[in-house]
This record gives sequence, structure tokens and C-alpha cells, in this order.
Amino acid sequence: MSAVLAGNQLTKTYGSTTALAGVDIEVHGRESLAIMGPSGSGKSTLLHTLAGIIRPDGGQVLLRGERIDNLGEERLSALRRKRFGFVFQFGQLLPELPAEENVALPLMLEGMPRRKAVKQARRWFEPLGLDGLELRRPGQLSGGQAQRVAIARALVIEPDVVFADEPTGALDQTTGTEVIRLLTTVTRDQGASLVMVTHDADVAAHCDRILQVRDGRIGVHSPYTSA
Amino acid sequence: MRSPVLPLTWHLAKSSGRRGLQSHLLAAAASAVGALILLVLLAATLGSADRADRTAWRTPDAAPTQRATAAQTLTTTYVRDKPVTVVTLAQLPHRGPAPAPPGIDRFPAPGQTYLSPALAKLMRELPASQLGDRFPTRTGYGTIGDAGLAAPEELVAVVGRTSTDPAITRATDGGEVDLLAASALVSGFDGASPSAFTASDQDIALLGGGLLIVPVIVLAAAAGRLGAASREQRLAALRLAGATPRQILTMTGVESAAVGLAGALVGTLAYVLLLPALTEVPYGIGTWYAEELWVGLPWLLSVVLALTALTALSAVSGLRAVARSPLGVAQQADPRRTRKVRLALFAAITGFVVISAQSGSQGTMQKLGLIVLVYGAFWILGPWVVDRLGRTVGRFARRPATLLAARRLSDDPRGAWRTVSGLVLAGFVAGFFTVGQIGIIGVHYPGQIALPMEHGNPRVAVAQARERLKEAEVTATVRTATPDSILGATEGVVVQVRGGQAAIDTAITALTPLTPGNPPRTDDYPNAENTAVNKLIGQIGLASLALGFLVAAASAGLTAAATVLDRRRVYGLLRLAGVPLKVLDRARVRETALPLVVLAGGTTAAGTFAALEINKAFGTSVSASGLVQLSACGVVGLATMFAALVGSRPLLRKVTEERSQDPD
Ligand SMILES: Nc1ncnc2c1ncn2[C@@H]1O[C@H](COP(=O)(O)OP(=O)(O)OP(=O)(O)O)[C@@H](O)[C@H]1O
Ligand SMILES: [Mg+2]
Repeated sequence: MSAVLAGNQLTKTYGSTTALAGVDIEVHGRESLAIMGPSGSGKSTLLHTLAGIIRPDGGQVLLRGERIDNLGEERLSALRRKRFGFVFQFGQLLPELPAEENVALPLMLEGMPRRKAVKQARRWFEPLGLDGLELRRPGQLSGGQAQRVAIARALVIEPDVVFADEPTGALDQTTGTEVIRLLTTVTRDQGASLVMVTHDADVAAHCDRILQVRDGRIGVHSPYTSA
Repeated sequence: MRSPVLPLTWHLAKSSGRRGLQSHLLAAAASAVGALILLVLLAATLGSADRADRTAWRTPDAAPTQRATAAQTLTTTYVRDKPVTVVTLAQLPHRGPAPAPPGIDRFPAPGQTYLSPALAKLMRELPASQLGDRFPTRTGYGTIGDAGLAAPEELVAVVGRTSTDPAITRATDGGEVDLLAASALVSGFDGASPSAFTASDQDIALLGGGLLIVPVIVLAAAAGRLGAASREQRLAALRLAGATPRQILTMTGVESAAVGLAGALVGTLAYVLLLPALTEVPYGIGTWYAEELWVGLPWLLSVVLALTALTALSAVSGLRAVARSPLGVAQQADPRRTRKVRLALFAAITGFVVISAQSGSQGTMQKLGLIVLVYGAFWILGPWVVDRLGRTVGRFARRPATLLAARRLSDDPRGAWRTVSGLVLAGFVAGFFTVGQIGIIGVHYPGQIALPMEHGNPRVAVAQARERLKEAEVTATVRTATPDSILGATEGVVVQVRGGQAAIDTAITALTPLTPGNPPRTDDYPNAENTAVNKLIGQIGLASLALGFLVAAASAGLTAAATVLDRRRVYGLLRLAGVPLKVLDRARVRETALPLVVLAGGTTAAGTFAALEINKAFGTSVSASGLVQLSACGVVGLATMFAALVGSRPLLRKVTEERSQDPD
């Protein structure tokens, strides 16, 4: 089984801090992968490196077998825009755009006519339980609703991989669980893989696989088989 | 002080790092620009009054006959189209000694003449037959010191005569009608009527000040909000950690007051350092003496305090949301809608202005009032137009950057209006002053010289005038005055000179002895006041424009930077997700450019229109050179604004890179 995304011997240091100390990681098609570990262990650094946001000091990142860690900033940025989706903890929606335009934005950036982009964006509202909220602006949404809009935006371009860094970090337990359930199922239905950093074991439990990171290394593999 | 708030404020301010410093610096800079401009406006206004006061001694203030010690007359003669103020003084016999006039160390004896330095210089440059011979002495002049002058360029002469000299006894008192001539018995030089050339200085300066004050206040207030925005996160955290709302407000107030104070002090320092340069800026009768433009310590302190308070107040009011609920920081839920009432109000106000303007016959103050009204109308209309514009463009936008810009406009129309208001109103001023220049030309008699004759026989005078002109080798026709002349209904002699300005000045000089106490006049004389006011308005218009652009550029730069700092998180995350910086940047530029182009164009047209309307009573001419000036101003203004926007581009790049890239 070939990996959609792979990191080989990734290293990254900040001054005297070693954030990544030789990480090998593979993300398979339609798989959801949780990255856990104590604070400061290098989870976000790993996620950012896989997503082409941070350039590793050593090692390679391969997307469908092709190296991406050595691409130029422009190409990387285009790659993130077209092939990856992102869900951050909070504050990623443009406050003055209504929800549907926030979702349509990545499509419009790819040159899709506005009407078509918005129409396509609206299709995501129903499966994510956002029916009727199309014209609300982020300030008028609850935290959980805003995160679901963010998920819609991450998925609207039909990415290969969705990256989520503590997507429920700002939500309460119940809301968080609901958001994660939607995130994992909708991502899988879409045919994309999910890489998610989380502190919460309950959240991680929704994923196919959990990786433990400690001191910049992959620790115990705990195959949490469910699917 | 036992309260932990102040030390904590200081500690947090110190540790807020480069980001905190950036916005503090920006806020302080805005406060500095605000202070500088306020002080310049004050200096011009107070200095104008001071200057007018310094000319008041020349217009005699009649004393009771028994107490009078001297006779004083004021006359005005023109050379090279420039007015020369001539004060003639005579000690009254059998009275106590008359005091010395300002700028001269003693009362001038008969035959003594004192000149201002500028007049002395002009006299050296021109042949005596064109200027010097108008005065009794031709050598050994005294000098009038600064105390007797309002501007270094002033042309003033003080002439000593005997009290029986016709120049004293025959002098007319122009009274209310002719401010260039006066005559009275005096006991000193504490008259209160300023010269006709400085009398309008303050009114017109106030007009400029009135137009600029609102944008300046807006700028300073924006400085406070900027500082507050960057502290929001930190303060919200403090609130979560248990700080009381009052402590938070105090901390914010203290911190932004300190920033505002620092900026205001810098602005004050800039004013002090620029003072020598400011004195070189001509206004009305000329440049300034430094003491005229020095506003004095109480005003300096007031301006510094006012800006400090303004910065602190706007910061605190911007922060009330954080203080109230720790998590309710993020953003306002509802876009602030503007209502149609604004349009109605605008229509009502402009309607009122147009009607009042057409009814004509306003005094200066009423006209100023109308201008302020028109101006206020734009403050009411501006946000509504921005809102409409945002929604209309939002409906049709195809590109993401345009859509984003449009949504931001209708999201906070008042904020967007504030950003561009400086330049928009500068456009109004530009339209008002440059194109619609008031073309009040009262009378136009080129080459004509008139001798008013209240004494003597005009027929005899005609013969004498011919003889004198012949001696002076001036070609001219001489006749008794008809109503169609500079003199109007007054009796006298009218001379039509052939030849240029030198011939006219020679003729005036040759004819001066014929009518002692009433120098010959050219059409400059009846036009004096209008000419002075027109010049003032032109100069204030230019100055307001220049300062308006400064404020506008500062506002735009500040808002652009504030936008970036406020949106740090969302912009940063969007960049992580691969949104090109270009798109964010374009949205930023469009957000300013859209309302600017629409509104500045609109107000410039309205300013022109307002000028035409308000001055209709006087017969306004649209000046072509004004149009050129206006376009030039528009280009410069737009360029400045966009320079300010582009100036914040590195900040955008940096701020959005902070999370994603390695530390440097
Ligand atoms: N830009 C940076 N500059 C310096 N050090 C950094 C930077 N980014 C991360 N680090 C350091 O690298 C290490 C790993 O950071 P990382 O953000 O990956 O941790 P994390 O596992 O995501 O922690 P958390 O659960 O708290 O988010 C930490 O010690 C952190 O201090
Ligand atoms: Mg992290």
C-alpha cells in the first residue's frame, strides 16, 4: 500500500531545541491519523513540516511519491492551496465574509467564477449540519459551527490530505466530539486523508491510527483499530 | 502607590516585545503628527491675531482734544502695486511730549522719516523719482524696528511733520469706508483697529483650522485604537486570569496615555524645531516673526494634554468589550449598518446651504458657517456611501480580493470612511479653494491715477498736474474726474498714464505733492481689501491642502498598519493554507482605493460647486489654473495615500510569516 504522504528521517532544530529528531511517518489514502504527545514534543512542527509550511533541516517529505520539501515558496504555497486542507484551532475565518463565501474562497482563488464557487460551497453545509447558516458571518456562529465551516473550507477543494492542529482545542467536550466525528467521517467520504494533532485521547480515538510523539521522535505506535 | 496596576502595566508594556513596540511606535507617530498640525494651526490663528495687533498703532485712535499730544494720519500709497503704509506724525504745540511710536525710539521731529527695512531696501533699488521723492526727506532715514512691524516684508514709513503742515491738516479720515486712510488727534499709540491688510488674517486662518481639525482629531483617536487593538489579546488573558475590568481599563488608559504623551511631546518638539522654517511661510502681508508664531507654554501644554487624553480615551472606549467579558473579544457580531437617514440629512443640509448661499449678502462668519455645514454634511453622508459602495461592489465582485475589500467596506463603513476622510475632505478644500476662487475684482482701471480733491480747485489742479508730469517726462492725459473713474462720486483729477509700471510710479511720485494728506491712487486702492482676502484664501487653501494630505497619509498608513496588526491571526493562518500574500494585499489596497476614488471625486466636485454657490453673490470665475492645481493636488494626494499603504506591505509580510517561518 503506497502512502499518500510520507516523511523520511525528518529533522528540525530551533537553536538548541530539537523539535524533530529523525521522524519516519506514512499517511495512507483515506486514513485518519492522530498525533499525540506532551506539550513541546514537536507535534505541530511535524504537522507543519508534512504540510509544507516548515522546511525540514534534514529528511524528505513525499506527496504521492514526489518530493515537496525542496520546492520553492511559490510552488509550496500553491500546493497547500490546491492539494491540502487546513483546520486550525480557531480564528481562521475572515470575519467579514459570510460563511458560504469563506468556504468558497479557496475555489475563487483557483479562478472558479464566484457564482459557481458559492454554489459548490453550499453543498458542504448540509452534510456538516450547517444548514441555514450560509449567510451568517463568523461572529454570528458558535465555536463549533465556526469549526465546521472551517472543515467545509478545508474540504471544498477536494484535497489529498486535511491537516488539523488541535481543531477542538477551543471547544467544549460535547461540541468537540461532534466536530471530530464530522471531520473524520466527511474527510473519509471525500476520499481524503486526515492528519490531526490533538491532546485529547477521546478525540484521538476517532482516528484510525494514533502516533505518539516524544522529544521529536515517534514513540509507541498504538494501532487503535476501528475501521 | 500600593496598587499593583501601574507596575504591572509597566512590566507588560516592557515585555510585549517587538509587536507591542511596533504598534506603540505607530500610535505615537500619529499622536506626534496630530500635535504638530494642531500647533501649526494654533500658531497660524494666534499669530494672525498677534500680527493684526501689531499693525493697530498705525490707525489713530482719537483722544479727547484736551488730552491729545500729537496729530496722526494714516495714508496708503502704492509702489509697484504694493501698498506702502505711511504714518504722518506731528507734535501738537503747547502740549506734553508725545510718546514714541512702536519700533522707533523717539517721536519723529518735523522732517525726520523712518522706514521699515523692506521699504528702505526698495528705496535703494528704485530711482527717487519713482518712490523716494514721495517723502519729505531723501537722506538720513531712521529705521522702524520689529516692534512697529507685523512682518519683515512690510513697507511702512513714519514721517515727522509740523502740526500745521497740509499733510496733517488736509488729511481725510476714511472712517469705516476707507480703511487705508485715517486722521485724528492722539495721545498715544494704543489704537485697536488693525490695518486693512491684516484684519482678515485670523478669520481665514480659522477657516483652514476648521477644515482640518476634524481629520486631526480622527487621526489621534485612531492612534488610541491602534494601541488598544494590539493589547486586546493580552488584556483578555489578564481578564481570564482574574483582573477586574477597572484594572484593565486603568492599565489600558495609562499605557495609551503614555504612548499618546510621548507622541505629543515629539510633535511639540517638531513644532519648536520647525518654528524657524514656519516663519518663512508667507501669509497675507508676508512671512512671520518667530514670536508671532510661538504659541506659548500654556497652549503647548494644552495641546499635549489634549492629545494624551484623546489617545487614552479612544483606547479605553475601544476596549470596553474586553473589559466586559473575557471571551467576547473577538469581533462584533453584526455589521454596523448605516441608515438612509444620512442621505436625507445630507440632502437637507446641502439644500439649506444652497438656498442660503443664493440669498446672498452673508458676512464672513456666515460664509464660514456654511462651509462648515457642507463639511459636516459629508461626515454624515460618507459612511452611507461607503456602505452602499461596499454592498454594490460586493454583489458584483468576481475576484476574491475585490470581494474581500467590498465585504470589509460594508462591514465597517464608518471605519473605512475615517481612513479616507482626510483625503476626501482635502479634496473638498481643494475644489473649494482652487477652482472656485473668488474673483472679486471691484474696479479695473489700468494705467489710471486719481487725485481726490476735497480742497482746492480741480481745474487749477489739472494744469498743475500736466506741468509736473511733463517735468517728470511721463506721457499722460489729464482731466477732471468723471463718475466713471477710480474716484467714483468724489471730485478730483484723473490721469491716464501711457507706459508701464515705472511710468505709473513716476507719475504717482510727481503728483504726490499736489494733494498733501491724500496720496494719488491707482485701482489698487479701492481693491485693497478684496485683494488681501483673495490672497489669504489662496494661501490658506494651499496650506490646508498640504496639511490635509499629511493627515490623510498618516491616517491611511496608520489604518493600513492597524488592519494588518488586527488581522494578524487570520491573515497568518490564511497564508499557511496557501492564500497568496498578493490577494490579501490587493484586498487591502482596494479597500482604501474604492471609497477614495468615489468619495474624493464626489467631494472635490462638491467643493467646487460649494465655492461657486457660496460666492455667487460676488460673481465667481472658474479659474483654469485652479483646475490644474487641483489635478496636481489630486495626483499628489493619491500618491501619498498609496505610498502609505505600500509602506505597510513589509509589515503584512512579516506579521503573516511569523508563525510559519524560522525565527531569524
Ligand atoms: N519558531 C520556533 N522558534 C523556536 N522554537 C520553536 C519554534 N517552534 C517550535 N519551537 C520549539 O520546538 C519544540 C516543539 O514545538 P511544537 O510547537 O512542535 O510542540 P507541540 O508538540 O506542538 O506543543 P503543544 O502541544 O504545546 O502545541 C518546542 O520546544 C518549541 O519550543
Ligand atoms: Mg502545537
